[in-house]
Amino acid sequence: MKLLECPINGIRPLSEFTYGGEYRDMPNPDTCSDKEWAAYVHYRNGAPGVKKEWWYHGPSGTWFIAERDTMADKVIRTYIAGQEEAK
Amino acid sequence: MQDAVLMSPVAFAHALRKPVNGEVNGMETALSFDAADVEAKRSQTLSICDVSNLNRFGVKGPQAANWLQAAGIKLPGTTNSWTPQDNGSLVMRLGNTEFLLEDQPENDLTGMLNDTAVNEGGVHKVLRNDAAFIVSGELTPALFSEVCAIDLEGATLEENRLVMTVIAGVSATLLKQTLNGQSVYRIWCDGTFGPYLWKTLLGIIEEQGGGPVGFNFYYKLN
Repeated sequence: MKLLECPINGIRPLSEFTYGGEYRDMPNPDTCSDKEWAAYVHYRNGAPGVKKEWWYHGPSGTWFIAERDTMADKVIRTYIAGQEEAK
Repeated sequence: MQDAVLMSPVAFAHALRKPVNGEVNGMETALSFDAADVEAKRSQTLSICDVSNLNRFGVKGPQAANWLQAAGIKLPGTTNSWTPQDNGSLVMRLGNTEFLLEDQPENDLTGMLNDTAVNEGGVHKVLRNDAAFIVSGELTPALFSEVCAIDLEGATLEENRLVMTVIAGVSATLLKQTLNGQSVYRIWCDGTFGPYLWKTLLGIIEEQGGGPVGFNFYYKLN
């Protein structure tokens, strides 16, 4: 059974979680160029490596960030968005 | 025009067993399924009871804890824990900023909170429509080992901890408390999943020699 650690609820089976996509910093839509905005909306980086990803723990309704090495499929750490310094 | 009757979210799952029904907190509820001695025996072996009729109140937001404390509510100190009030009501902390309160039949803390105005930002009342169950008996570890992905033995639920996990594929909140001197498990899930969860748990419970018990087994009403 694959396991993932929710920062609030602890280690749980992966079946309790939903992947929410890669975490990416959004450019300011009021100041960025059309090219930058189009790249943000349409492009994804599929190269393997350490990625920040949104994950959702369904039973508790908790969204959090997981830093995952997509080459090795190994989760390095998880934390609530904005609280990464605490982990 | 007929008056609407509020029914337990699992009422249709009960119907084939022809329980003795009655109204509790304005909700038609199975008061008993069998003779008191039969239900008492089941509760020692393995049993499930529908307590969806107990009044509940949800609140969330960054100021929810302050708002509850201002209303005189004693709060659990840590995330995913619960604490009883002096009158027996349960207060559960479901996350950093979310709370669920549940009354006993004879008190009305939730009604008081519903009537309390929210005058500040960061406090949001949450409408609850849970199906709620009491599971008891010495064979509960066998039941949960079949339907829970995490191990509930040991310290997981001790010291007023609560767990939010998946039970038989349904997201649920689970805690362990002492009721009438008996150690029981409490389960809450979304009301629309109630009949499925009731049938699934009851199927396993009956395989183990247990069965359903009515609301009157735990709460004697006049």
